[in-house]
Amino acid sequence: MTSSLVGVWRARNVLQFLVRRDLAIKYQQSVMGYLWSLLEPLGIGLIYYFVFVVVMGRAGLGGVVTEQEYILYLMAGIFSFMWTSGVLSEATGALTGQKSLITTMNVPREVFPLGRVIARSAEFLAGLPILALIAALRGVDFGWWLLALPLAIVLQLVFLTGIALLLSSVNVMLQDIERFMRMIQRLVFYGSPILYPLVLVESSSLPGWLKLLYQANPLVGIVEIHHAVWFPQLFPSAALLITCVVGCLVTLVAGWLVFRWLEPAVLKEL
Amino acid sequence: MTEPIIEARDLGVQFVRNRRRNLRLREMAIHAFRRGRRQPAGGDTFWPLRHLSFEVQPGEALGIIGKNGTGKSTLLKLIAGVLKPDEGGVTVRGRVAPLIQLSAGFSGDLTGRENVFLVASLHGLGRKEIRARFDEIIDFAGDQVRDAIDSPVRHYSSGMKVRLAFSLVSRLPHPLLLVDEALAVGDREFKQKCYKVIDGLLAEGRTLVLVSHSQPQLTRFCKRGFYLDRGRLVVDGTMQEALDAYNGPKPDEVDADDD
Repeated sequence: MTSSLVGVWRARNVLQFLVRRDLAIKYQQSVMGYLWSLLEPLGIGLIYYFVFVVVMGRAGLGGVVTEQEYILYLMAGIFSFMWTSGVLSEATGALTGQKSLITTMNVPREVFPLGRVIARSAEFLAGLPILALIAALRGVDFGWWLLALPLAIVLQLVFLTGIALLLSSVNVMLQDIERFMRMIQRLVFYGSPILYPLVLVESSSLPGWLKLLYQANPLVGIVEIHHAVWFPQLFPSAALLITCVVGCLVTLVAGWLVFRWLEPAVLKEL
Repeated sequence: MTEPIIEARDLGVQFVRNRRRNLRLREMAIHAFRRGRRQPAGGDTFWPLRHLSFEVQPGEALGIIGKNGTGKSTLLKLIAGVLKPDEGGVTVRGRVAPLIQLSAGFSGDLTGRENVFLVASLHGLGRKEIRARFDEIIDFAGDQVRDAIDSPVRHYSSGMKVRLAFSLVSRLPHPLLLVDEALAVGDREFKQKCYKVIDGLLAEGRTLVLVSHSQPQLTRFCKRGFYLDRGRLVVDGTMQEALDAYNGPKPDEVDADDD
């Protein structure tokens, strides 16, 4: 792993350039680029707020947050989800979409998926002021528990890097992967506590093994930590936190190993 | 004696022939299997290159000739590090300026200007260095390219693409230049300009590996020649020896090349 880290470090200029180009291409078309990038998560948030609070009432909140606070709860989860979903859809094509560079230039191939992850992370960071604004408007207290934010970011970054390495390389060999992505994104959205509180899953009548499987998804822990940034009482239990940290690290190592293992075949295939 | 700039030991790479979409999962399995067992599995694999061992000293100009599909481009890709060998290995000491398959790695949806910046920075040039060289690169590529520098490269003719690519790659400060057939596309005037540039680079002591079917080009630049046949390095000698082997016993059937 060290050799690959050294390689990526040496290629950090390349990485920087790829990220900058990625963001430039995405936002140059509209002067309002930045605001546009916030429009989608905000729109989704408002829709769900309308459906779950205005239409269906407080039934789904599980007593964890008030109706007042629900919009912040929702947005914290949605911003985290948008980050994941952006990586899922864009890292998958990181190698196939940059074929011409990869087949002519000897740079560590990891930089291509990594670049996509970093660009999406920058977008996530750019959205944070909006969350803070919503929190301020809703009168949520700021406190030392804001420190959960760096933890959430680091864990999610580790997890997404692993996923990006895995998907980008596997996608070269099995190009039907891209087709499953929409479904997987849905699964990720409903399979983590974004709309509903985790308590409802824990107290539900689901069989025990299914609850375990649900919590084995590192994103469950990650989303809960994103919630804890604003609602400290939601910070995950020790068991969930450990599951999440281990899950993220395992994903990173697995993704990296698969990437290394497939690399020679990927180069022939491109 | 200095260290060789390229050192290949028993170099070989294996491809799978006629792979169809529905074999994708299987190929992965084959690959895993081969990695583990260190021996080829399955019947439909072949070796575009195998058992190549050679050394190239800094400052040498090496010409590679052979029929289509005998592994010339594959060899350049292995030297450039964009393919990984399945057998043996190749060590390259120094950075490589590659012009492989008529392309410097341009992406069709970016403009010429963006591509120059992208590719040059991937080759390790800083923004200032690129800006300093930019005009020179565009000048060399010609008026046609200059006029189209801000439109997407996919609208360029193949000649324009190659001119811009050569212009860029030949201005990289890397000690090893790999050129694959690129000079076959440009017109006569551009070729003459390229020749001068290559002469200059060789005079500076850079190393050149040139793949070409043009015998005048090969003899003009290269003292040493490789003749590849069906993935084997058949002749490693002077350029003339390699050409003689390529042309076979009937020298009058030489394909009459340009210039």
